[in-house]
Amino acid sequence: METKLTNEESLGIIHQMIATSKNNLKDNSFFFLLWGWLVLAASLSHFVLLQLQWSYAFLPWPILMNLGVIISIVAGYRMGKKTKVMSHIDKMMIYLWYGFLAVILILISMALLGRLNWITVYPTIIVLYGLGTFVSGGVLKFKPLILGGIACWLIAITAFFVQPQYVLLLTALSIIMAYLIPGYLLKSKS
Amino acid sequence: MFKDLDALLHNQLRLSIISILISVDSADFSHLLEKTGATKGNLSVQINKLKDAGYISVKKSFRKNYPLTTCKMTPKGVTAFENYVDAISAYLKKPSE
Repeated sequence: METKLTNEESLGIIHQMIATSKNNLKDNSFFFLLWGWLVLAASLSHFVLLQLQWSYAFLPWPILMNLGVIISIVAGYRMGKKTKVMSHIDKMMIYLWYGFLAVILILISMALLGRLNWITVYPTIIVLYGLGTFVSGGVLKFKPLILGGIACWLIAITAFFVQPQYVLLLTALSIIMAYLIPGYLLKSKS
Repeated sequence: MFKDLDALLHNQLRLSIISILISVDSADFSHLLEKTGATKGNLSVQINKLKDAGYISVKKSFRKNYPLTTCKMTPKGVTAFENYVDAISAYLKKPSE
């Protein structure tokens, strides 16, 4: 049997249901922390290996970044299995960071093919994850991420002007500001 | 003259389902069950009515061998919901009958 609704009851239902869906902010910190630590480890070890004048000093990058992609795919798949509801924000984040991954792969491929200079690729990537972090902060309404994004841009501008090996230290600094600090703040909040 | 209220939406459970779906991208059956507090049977009947009207799309799949039903608003459903809210607002603006 269908019960008759008054108009006020109807509005009440709409308000109540929309309100319960709104407070669904999930803990998005996992990916920020994962990539934060991996990029930090890669950039610092690359820097140290360069100081030791090892000819394959860049090697931490392909190893750690591929590891990150594998962990992300597995974790993303598992989380996707568990989630009962996908918010517009979740969907937007997925598209933003998959798009980011595609852009990074294009840049790295072009650098490997010699069409782009590695010295400019690093700061360009910092500019781009600054954008991703800034947008994520905006949609999650989380200021540390917004500030982290802005910090990335300032660091990237500096990185365009310094000696190549110091770009690695700036990369490490940018990832601490944009991923690790906001990542831990986000984690402690939820 | 008042607009007629969409009879399909003017029902507590169906309106609840639509109000949840309007604010998310998609939600599965157990989420709707939890948020609406309805019984499985009733929820399933009302989801089918909304699906038959073309207001929501329903995707059936499996998760760990259990059936998984994922619901999502269609553009037609969004328009219907907007019209319903407009109609309700029109009624509420009128001081008395």
